[in-house]
Amino acid sequence: MPGYRTALVRLFTIQAAFSYERMLGVGFGFAAEPLLRELARRGDASGAEPGAAAAPRFRAALARQSRYFNAHPYLAALAVGAAARAEVEGEPPERIERLRAALTGPLGSLGDRLIWAGWLPACAAVGLLLVTLGAGGWAVAAFLLLYNALHLWLRAWGLKVGWRCGVDVAGALAAPVLQRALELVAPLAAVALGAALPAVLDWYPFAAHWELLAGAAAAGLFAVVAGAFQGRATGLVVAAAALTAVVAVGVLW
Amino acid sequence: MTVAPLAGVIAVGIVAGLDLVSVPQAMLARPLVAGFLGGAVLGRPLAGLAVGALLELFAFETMPVGAARYPDWGPAAAAAGALAARRGGTWDPAWLLGVMVVALLAAWFGGLTMHLVRRMNGAQLRRRQAALEAGDPGALLALQLGGVARDVVRAGLLTAATFLIGGRVAEQVAAGWRAPRAVADIAVVGSAVGVAAWSAYRLFGRGPARRWLEVGAAAGILVVAGLLVW
Repeated sequence: MPGYRTALVRLFTIQAAFSYERMLGVGFGFAAEPLLRELARRGDASGAEPGAAAAPRFRAALARQSRYFNAHPYLAALAVGAAARAEVEGEPPERIERLRAALTGPLGSLGDRLIWAGWLPACAAVGLLLVTLGAGGWAVAAFLLLYNALHLWLRAWGLKVGWRCGVDVAGALAAPVLQRALELVAPLAAVALGAALPAVLDWYPFAAHWELLAGAAAAGLFAVVAGAFQGRATGLVVAAAALTAVVAVGVLW
Repeated sequence: MTVAPLAGVIAVGIVAGLDLVSVPQAMLARPLVAGFLGGAVLGRPLAGLAVGALLELFAFETMPVGAARYPDWGPAAAAAGALAARRGGTWDPAWLLGVMVVALLAAWFGGLTMHLVRRMNGAQLRRRQAALEAGDPGALLALQLGGVARDVVRAGLLTAATFLIGGRVAEQVAAGWRAPRAVADIAVVGSAVGVAAWSAYRLFGRGPARRWLEVGAAAGILVVAGLLVW
């Protein structure tokens, strides 16, 4: 695949120019550009000279690939590879635009379930568990290595498979490896997070056992309060307000 | 404090701030990592890690999903980790409470600044609309670089402000604290673990993963109870 490495590196910046108008579109075009250079090298059926940015087909393809696109940033690699391949293969523009539009929902949904609601909480919980076990900096290293193993693989795999499949890329989303990962990731994250929370309570340097028990009770109460505010305020806002009130009480005591 | 350490803290905050959205989304922005790195810059990575671990519990609640507005934990955690390192690694619950309040507000405010950057990116996009529609690779590069530059400025300012304000606030809280120290301890841990518990329930408590959440929690509770009895 010509331009694979450059496109892969550029995929890491796919959200650099994120805007509400085009979402990932600009980054999508930027990442696809090395793959589309093939069009410029070939010149143009209309007789244009070969040469970067000279061929109308290259420019039209780049303009198309820079339009609105939204998906999970890691899995967007699959769409970048597929759309670029479709351009190079000379697929009709309407078909390429339909392909990009059709991939938005499934790639976003898959990424949300696999990464944001699965792999990330799982790895972060493992990192926290390791902190509570006294692993120190190794906990951070383990978290980054574990998380990014899947992250890097997804980007590289996505670009390669997208390019290989072109307009038939939808079938790649049903790849057994992805389906198996989806089945495993939520239980893994749930176990790790479930175990990490009591471990944090034990790790925190409370002065006495009763404080630990009071901390656990406060956590339970806070979880209920955060739940009660669902839809109106995030836990972060509720926590910031509650802790500010505690500061006021502690100073005015 | 001399300029060099402050510049180091800001540099870490910029790396963490950029990581969340712009480049490379490798989770350097997670509080666990940013707090550790912020502490490392001032020579006490484990002090930064401790604060980062507590902030990580809050960060479970909102994941960086698409166009949703989510907090920016990186600069806040980097600054909080550096403050913990500058404090010398001593564990003062009242001081920690002050840092946590500022870090939470900074993370929330960071989310707003990201929204602003996206709008600025949109304005830049409209100015280069014609070049984009003409398929000009130079326009794409300019937009990408512009987006990164705006994010660098955003993250740098946010880190510096959190570090400077957070340091002041935490020292004031520590100096003026009159309640028993346990109040601050329980408030910090209760809110952090509480938000994480609520997040765990939201993510896994209503589907087939629920029993796995219960298994994990039961195992964790048993181990902690065993250690307490021991």
